[in-house]
Amino acid sequence: MKNREILELEVNGHRRQTAARPYDVLLDVLRDGLDLTGTKRGCDMGTCGCCTVLMDGKPVLSCLTLAGQCEGKAITTIEGLKDGAHLHPLQKCFADAGGSQCGFCTPGFLMTCTALLEKNQEPSDGEIREAISGNMCRCTGYVKIIEAIQQSAEVLRARKAGNEGQADV
Amino acid sequence: MLLPRFELHRPSSVDEALTIAARHAGDCDFIAGGTDLLQNYKNRLNPRGHVVSLLGIDALQELSPTRIGALTTLARIEESETMRRELPILVEAASKVASPLVRQTATLGGNLLVETRCYYFNQSEFWRRSKGYCLKAEGDVCLVVPQKETCYAAFSGDMAPALMALGASARLKSLDGERIVKLTEFYEGDGIKRYVLRPGELVQGVELPPSATSLRGAYRKLRLRDTFDYPELGLAVTLGMEGEKIRELHVCAAAMETVPLCFDDLTGSLHGQPLSDSLIQLLGERIVKRVKPVKNTALSPNYRRKMVMVYLRRMLEQLATAGN
Amino acid sequence: MSEPKSGAAKGVIGQRLPLVDARKKTTGEAVYTDDIRLPNTLVGKILRSPHAHARIKGIDTSRALALPGVAAVVTGAENRANFGVLPISKDETALAVDKVIFVGDQVAAVAAEDEEIALEALGLIQVDYEVYPAFLQPEDSLKDVADPAHKIHARTVGETNVHKQVDQHFGDVDAALKDARIVRRGHFEFGSVTHAFTEPHCVIARYDTDGKLTLWSATQVPHYVHRALVEVTGLPMHAIRVIKPMVGGAFGGKSDPFPHEMAAALLSMKSGRPVKILFDREEVFLSHHGRHPTKTDIAVALDRDGKISGLDLKVLIDGGAWGSFGVVTTYYNGVLSAGPYDVSNFRYSGKRVYTNKPPCGAMRGHGAVNSRFAFEVLLDEIAEELGEDPCELRLKNFLPEYTTTINEFRITSNGIAEGMLRAMERSGWKEKYRQLPPGRGIGAACGFYISGSALPIHWSKLPQSTVHLKIDMDGGVTVHAGTADIGQGSDTMLAQCVAQVLGLPMSRLRVYTADSDMDPVDLGSYSSRVTFMAGNAARRAAEQIRTELIEAASRLTGYPAEGFVLEDELVVYTPLPRIRMSYMEALTEALADRGALIARGSYQSPPMGGKFKGAAAGLSPTYSFQSYISEVTVDEETGFVKVEKVWAAHDCGRALNPIAVEGQVEGSIHMGLGQLLSEQFRYHDGNVLNPNLLDYKTLSAKEMPEVECILIESGDPEGPFGAKECGEGPLLPILPSVANAIHDAVGVRIRRLPVTPEDILQGIQKNRMERSDVAAKIRVA
Ligand SMILES: Cc1cc2nc3c(=O)[nH]c(=O)nc-3n(C[C@H](O)[C@H](O)[C@H](O)COP(=O)(O)OP(=O)(O)OC[C@H]3O[C@@H](n4cnc5c(N)ncnc54)[C@H](O)[C@@H]3O)c2cc1C
Ligand code: SF4
Ligand code: FES
Ligand code: FES
Repeated sequence: MKNREILELEVNGHRRQTAARPYDVLLDVLRDGLDLTGTKRGCDMGTCGCCTVLMDGKPVLSCLTLAGQCEGKAITTIEGLKDGAHLHPLQKCFADAGGSQCGFCTPGFLMTCTALLEKNQEPSDGEIREAISGNMCRCTGYVKIIEAIQQSAEVLRARKAGNEGQADV
Repeated sequence: MLLPRFELHRPSSVDEALTIAARHAGDCDFIAGGTDLLQNYKNRLNPRGHVVSLLGIDALQELSPTRIGALTTLARIEESETMRRELPILVEAASKVASPLVRQTATLGGNLLVETRCYYFNQSEFWRRSKGYCLKAEGDVCLVVPQKETCYAAFSGDMAPALMALGASARLKSLDGERIVKLTEFYEGDGIKRYVLRPGELVQGVELPPSATSLRGAYRKLRLRDTFDYPELGLAVTLGMEGEKIRELHVCAAAMETVPLCFDDLTGSLHGQPLSDSLIQLLGERIVKRVKPVKNTALSPNYRRKMVMVYLRRMLEQLATAGN
Repeated sequence: MSEPKSGAAKGVIGQRLPLVDARKKTTGEAVYTDDIRLPNTLVGKILRSPHAHARIKGIDTSRALALPGVAAVVTGAENRANFGVLPISKDETALAVDKVIFVGDQVAAVAAEDEEIALEALGLIQVDYEVYPAFLQPEDSLKDVADPAHKIHARTVGETNVHKQVDQHFGDVDAALKDARIVRRGHFEFGSVTHAFTEPHCVIARYDTDGKLTLWSATQVPHYVHRALVEVTGLPMHAIRVIKPMVGGAFGGKSDPFPHEMAAALLSMKSGRPVKILFDREEVFLSHHGRHPTKTDIAVALDRDGKISGLDLKVLIDGGAWGSFGVVTTYYNGVLSAGPYDVSNFRYSGKRVYTNKPPCGAMRGHGAVNSRFAFEVLLDEIAEELGEDPCELRLKNFLPEYTTTINEFRITSNGIAEGMLRAMERSGWKEKYRQLPPGRGIGAACGFYISGSALPIHWSKLPQSTVHLKIDMDGGVTVHAGTADIGQGSDTMLAQCVAQVLGLPMSRLRVYTADSDMDPVDLGSYSSRVTFMAGNAARRAAEQIRTELIEAASRLTGYPAEGFVLEDELVVYTPLPRIRMSYMEALTEALADRGALIARGSYQSPPMGGKFKGAAAGLSPTYSFQSYISEVTVDEETGFVKVEKVWAAHDCGRALNPIAVEGQVEGSIHMGLGQLLSEQFRYHDGNVLNPNLLDYKTLSAKEMPEVECILIESGDPEGPFGAKECGEGPLLPILPSVANAIHDAVGVRIRRLPVTPEDILQGIQKNRMERSDVAAKIRVA
């Protein structure tokens, strides 16, 4: 059995090569192979959402995804969420509204919410709760996370409406 | 958590996948989304040396009210406007599987074949060694019902009962050719054997009768949390009415036993009768008498059986009014 | 959400501020222990006991050592040193010595080049066990053990497995019960719950060529880890450096020095290379140290004036395998029930036993949660029986401010009555209680909690918190403290306290904490002590700097120092406000000829409390107070409970940062609801049946109710800017308030947690049967 092979992944807009075993999950390759430690390991079993990354824009659990099944897909991790030096509105709102306490769940939430707000910029409370129901947070009781998402949606809506001054965060 | 060693194969056609599987017969698993298989592999539950990824097979991606490819993700079903219009029960069932993140990669095929579950099985290698291995993995005795023949692990997939209640069939393919098996006949056996799928045989997808879209359907799921949790009871009901009378009625259940159950033998005789409270009561009592959950999940078997009645009544009441 | 108080003083105190590290946490820049990569690091893995109780007859590690890629193996035979968080019950070792006492106990540890090799090596270690009978039920541990070798620990009460026994009696409870207008009794049972923080335990130990051991660990008590490392490694304290990186939640679950931390140190000392141990989720569950399950018998008496005249508590506490904080827990289960009501006679008898299960320890609301539940539910029953409003009954019985409890706790600021009244008003209590439609209900409960323990664990004359400040010519203020920010925001709190005193914006502050080489000792993040103690220390340090800056301004202007204030980066002479200068000007003058300004502030609790045995337990320089009202819907056919809304009034003295306070309240509510409704360790013999986050069910966003935080600012005279705790007390009343609401909705009383839908359904059905019995009787008559 071959042990490691070169895996080519597109991560945060760049082609990256790394040696990986066929039985490595994406989470291990991101953290250990590519040194992208922003993606967190909370349970390794699909039950916490800390490891969420975007794959072709969809939020997926990197702990239950074989790296070998990701070739040809565009992967975005928390490190790729900023626009250059500018925070994504979600990042700013999570920080400012208290959506992040210990912060360990935060990268996963942000990736999930990025996908949500891509699809739906006017999410209802129910839609937000549904969207984040695969992400566990033990600190916030979700209250301020939900507030942060609502605030980000507002910023994004304002941006879309061309209301740059107000939306510039 | 490191997975056990295996070789990953990435075929791009069904035939190629079948050939690889045949070459490693007995030491090979298919993987689709991996959301079930990888959990089990991490726990060292019956891992194999070869794993054949199906994700590169574009042919298994179709999605229509009459055919759904095995690789269609549950998220796609959930988001499909056509499905919401034509077969809302499937959207309802899909949207209750696991969590929204799992559903992004979880496939329909994987869901139909999801591993049966039991407290004594879904554990780490360390745990099982400590407790003693059970019949379903490496051991020779069941830890829930102490005996050596039968495994009682619960079938915990949400899509199967909904599809069964719509009259769906599985499209299977092996090197010996294709066959189509009604889902009601697909599942059989105990928590280990589970279905008629042969080693090396692949699920290509499901087929639904065109008449399925004429049925009203609902799926309800019992679980402690409204996310993550596998069903403690998954009840699917489909109903066709002719005026005030029942034209067609199917009730199917997941998580009661080792396979999804279909109660057509109890509902068949009700065709032509009006949907009355007493009919619902009687049917419910018969089903409750029939199902035999065991104590290997979070909620007690007794409670899970009781809820069959409550759910059935609520769902039939809802479906009866839905048509008006 | 409460708005910032209008008319509040200038500055950063009381502002809704983001945590100082919040942005880094949203970009992936925040570095947690497992994110640290040191060159040449080995992977450490732990071999665990498959038995609940067994003697280790022999361990053969030779095959593991022979495996290529294995750098070191350690077992208990090599290091028998005892440690434990409390000096009075040091019953832990790095690795099991001679016997194992729970499934998951650490038996051996391996360091190898990679995870695969390390795992393989574990499989090659042969351990020969002689299985002992396991003590799994707390009742069994009360009995004398026939064969002393089978005792779980050598040091116990007599020949039993009782670890600690507490008996206290204030006043005359028997007389109170006899003379009461009404007495209610109950037997309650509480399941085992755990912290379930998102970040698994992780540690890196590096023993370098200079003989210095550095340990990075996800801990809330770096100082206690430091002390334990001294005992286990034998190195002098100054040769050990403990660093706490970012921690992904803890809630008490990282407040002990842990065996895996010791094992990592030993592996590194043996291999001469850095060793990292990261737990998988099952290991986190087995490490546990969560809330002690208890069986609680309680009687509450009300006298003819409607006053709580007697409280009689008897608690059996299941401690699991180790002592941990258990001695404290044993006290807390009793003594923290002596408020927030004026209880005139109080008796407590508590026993904590060892069992062969994962160890229990401190968890948010440590020791107080279960007894509080029992007390608050019985109060509700009493009110019901008397036909009184349970909120009014409570209002009649609250302790006033500035008083002493029956067990001689010194109560200072106390905003509980205001909290109760506001929660009643906001929730529409008067219109809802007993008036909501069937299946819908509303309930109330209260609580109080310590704001730091007045007496430290280790007796010494050292302060409980110390903070250092440094300001150099760049104008930035560096805060150094041994405090452990575990996500609760203590770094932010320190920065705020300093910024407030110096009239500076938060951007000038930089906080470096929890590195034993760089920062002065702080006892850690537990018992809700940090804001009160370290906040005071920070304030005091900053006041010294303020004095220096003002003196500099006075020198430069020739005006007397007394008139100067610092605000908005200015030093202003208030009698003549045009006499002012920038902060930088004053600083430059202050630095002249001397260099950087440095200051030290510290905090130590004043003397207080009674003289009786155990008087120190539960003593705190101040207490927080809570009054909650919860509204629920119960599905009468399935027994499912939906918590609709919670009105949570919490007296935190002063909300230094309302966002952070609300965050603690909301998080506490989430955690408490889990204990009430869904969380529990399930066991099969000594094995935890659900050591994973799928089957250990914390509530999701979908189950979380709406929360209205009502922050009461009673202004504590000794708290920093009036503040007191908000991290633990807010958990207490959520469980009983919801339980009381469930009763209001469907008439079911809860005696066992977690309460399952099935329990509630059974209660409903039982009520129906009783009602129809009554109806039948009436008909017969
Ligand atoms: C936290 C969590 C919660 C979950 N909760 C639920 C739940 O509530 N309800 C539920 O139903 N499931 C649940 N699951 C299980 C799982 O995610 C789903 O069942 C999912 O649909 C499986 O699809 P998959 O593509 O990921 O399957 P995989 O893991 O890829 O495969 C599952 C099994 O099917 C076989 N297989 C897959 N596709 C084929 C094919 N086309 N032909 C032949 N064999 C095939 C594999 O060999 C494997 O044995 C949960 C999983 C997680 C991690
Ligand atoms: S039912 Fe019995 S045989 Fe089947 S998985 Fe559970 S313990 Fe094993
Ligand atoms: S680490 Fe992937 S879901 Fe928890
Ligand atoms: S902020 Fe700590 S787990 Fe979410």
